[in-house]
Amino acid sequence: MLSVFPEQNLTSNLEDCALIWGKIGVTIDSFTVSPRDFPGGDIGELAICGSANDLAVRGVLPRFIAMSVVAEEGLHMAELSRYMKSAARICEDLNIQLVAGDTKVVPKGHVEGLFITTCAVGEQITEESLGMDRLQPGDKIIASTSIGRHGAAIGASRFNLNPENLKSDCAPLWPALKPLLALKGLRCMRDCTRGGLGTVMCEWAEGRNIGITLVEKQIPIRIAVQSICDILGFDPLYLACEGCAAIAVAPDDADRALGLLRESSLCEEAAVIGTVTEDHAGMVALQTEIGGMRVVDMPVGEMLPRIC
Amino acid sequence: MKYISTQKKAMSPFDREPGQIKASYTAHHVIEAIGQRLTKPLTFMEVCGTHTVSIFRSGIRSVLPPDLSLISGPGCPVCVTDQGEIDCAINLLDMPDITMATYGDMLRVPGTRGSLSERKSEGKDVRLITSAAQALSIAEDNPEREIVFLAVGFETTAPATAATILEAAEKNITNFSILVYHKQTPPVLEQLVKDPDLKINGFILPGHVSVILGHKAYRFLADHYGVPCAIAGFEPMDILLAIADLVFQHSNGESALHSLYPRAVRPEGNQKALDLISKVFTPCSARWRGLGLIPSSGYALKEEFAAFDALLRFGITIPTPKPPAGCCCGDVLAGHITPLKCPLFAAACTPMTPVGPCMVSSEGSCSAYYKYNRGGASPWKRSPSATEAADD
Ligand code: SF4
Repeated sequence: MLSVFPEQNLTSNLEDCALIWGKIGVTIDSFTVSPRDFPGGDIGELAICGSANDLAVRGVLPRFIAMSVVAEEGLHMAELSRYMKSAARICEDLNIQLVAGDTKVVPKGHVEGLFITTCAVGEQITEESLGMDRLQPGDKIIASTSIGRHGAAIGASRFNLNPENLKSDCAPLWPALKPLLALKGLRCMRDCTRGGLGTVMCEWAEGRNIGITLVEKQIPIRIAVQSICDILGFDPLYLACEGCAAIAVAPDDADRALGLLRESSLCEEAAVIGTVTEDHAGMVALQTEIGGMRVVDMPVGEMLPRIC
Repeated sequence: MKYISTQKKAMSPFDREPGQIKASYTAHHVIEAIGQRLTKPLTFMEVCGTHTVSIFRSGIRSVLPPDLSLISGPGCPVCVTDQGEIDCAINLLDMPDITMATYGDMLRVPGTRGSLSERKSEGKDVRLITSAAQALSIAEDNPEREIVFLAVGFETTAPATAATILEAAEKNITNFSILVYHKQTPPVLEQLVKDPDLKINGFILPGHVSVILGHKAYRFLADHYGVPCAIAGFEPMDILLAIADLVFQHSNGESALHSLYPRAVRPEGNQKALDLISKVFTPCSARWRGLGLIPSSGYALKEEFAAFDALLRFGITIPTPKPPAGCCCGDVLAGHITPLKCPLFAAACTPMTPVGPCMVSSEGSCSAYYKYNRGGASPWKRSPSATEAADD
């Protein structure tokens, strides 16, 4: 798609948030999820958190949001306004101002229920721009919380498995990540959305042609998430998160970063999960629990439950 | 040697508390014990696709001695579905008012004329389900349409299909039928063990299937063909222990069937599930992708349930098309070659552009080799397996 745009138009190195005009961060994303109400959140909350988090991980304070709603004819007004209330609540928490919006109703069958697109704009508060181009061998990789909760919650409700203690991690990351911005050794951060932690790691390794080694034992995964994965045959590394960031910091700052993260109730499970390395350039390796090694590769296609 | 004893009663070195087995030092001990007891090159087949994925995900291959090779068998229901069976489903979907419901990766398996998923994107009604019962509810909710359930899987999913047929019969549902592509595990194992070109020194038998079948159905492998067998669960540690068991059997000169999954598998199996199967189905020969027609390896609906047989209902047959040029799925499924030896692997055939089902299925060995081994480029690859060395 990008090939038709003149190259100079690309300012973001394809990070999820572009930094323009010096200190302005901008991002846009569309949200569609089934079911729209899921354990731990709904599509309205997701639409704000998703875009605000894309800014937060680049050290950009989310300030403004524009929102476009495409609803299928027949969607109940009450349902829509419930999602809007969720969205408004997150905006209020983060002090984000809704500055533009659009609503379209399309004939039945043209969209599945509801699509919400949000464009978030904010102000970069770090001196230097955070991005994967800053990654260096030796850097430590941190997961800000346990992984895969959003994907597992959605998967579970889609397949009528609903363990009580399984909820999406959908949450705004800014309050938890802001204190990290003071760390000199902070290299880059990324919220692990679709494709999960595994995909972010692959993008970093491939994008910078460096190696990343993850240690399976150290990756925080809740038992409920692991059980859903065992039942459906999913790999938790690739399950979507909506309130978890992958963070790379210089080794000297790793402990400090962990301490700061754990002060936030969202990040009590934060853990160092791996290291950037000069070995196996362009590849992500996982040191497994039994002491083996394997490749973590980009996921392909949609994860479908296994048959037997 | 703390956890694995070589004594006869020993097949319960495994009577430890659940959870305890996860500690990595235990894995380390088992791996060490395997190395100590391995005296000659051995090749074991993990029959089940879930085992294949677990082996790759946990990096088991990278910790085993080079003289110990694991090959993947025909235990992924998607992989063994014959191309003709897919073609038949697609032909059916071209008829008016048909809704097809099926499991998981079946949608993406290419037949001669594309896949079900391509038909779905063209507007045909194809539904992804996770249980046979869901297919029946679709039929109840859509009386104006003909719902065809494309039923795949081994002894694990066949009972649910049988239960659904019984329910449909009882409720007198007339717009519901099935394409029965279920398959039975023991006959294909017998075919493999009889294959003179294939030297399998032990089977890691599928846990889930064994929950249904119990022990008896596999005894012939050890008793008649002298091949050690271990029924295993799906945790990396379960698989390591099964491998250790097979290595120990060899070093003791034994060939027996051991269950290392007693927490789930009862020796007598699941009688209720077996009864459901025998009530509704009768064994028939079935075509396995790349392996050909295997007698008594499939399930056909008994005559009294003929009304639910989609083939009869729509007057169609399963064609026998030629496999795509170069495709080696059969050789991979039979364990003759590893996916790396298929000329299409990682070239014409990738998870994005799969030629065969072994690359489509999340449990297929080609997709596991591709995903966890980077198409053979993994720096943690062990030295070539005996099978690979053999076909060099
Ligand atoms: S690489 Fe593709 S064509 Fe070759 S055996 Fe595997 S699935 Fe079949």
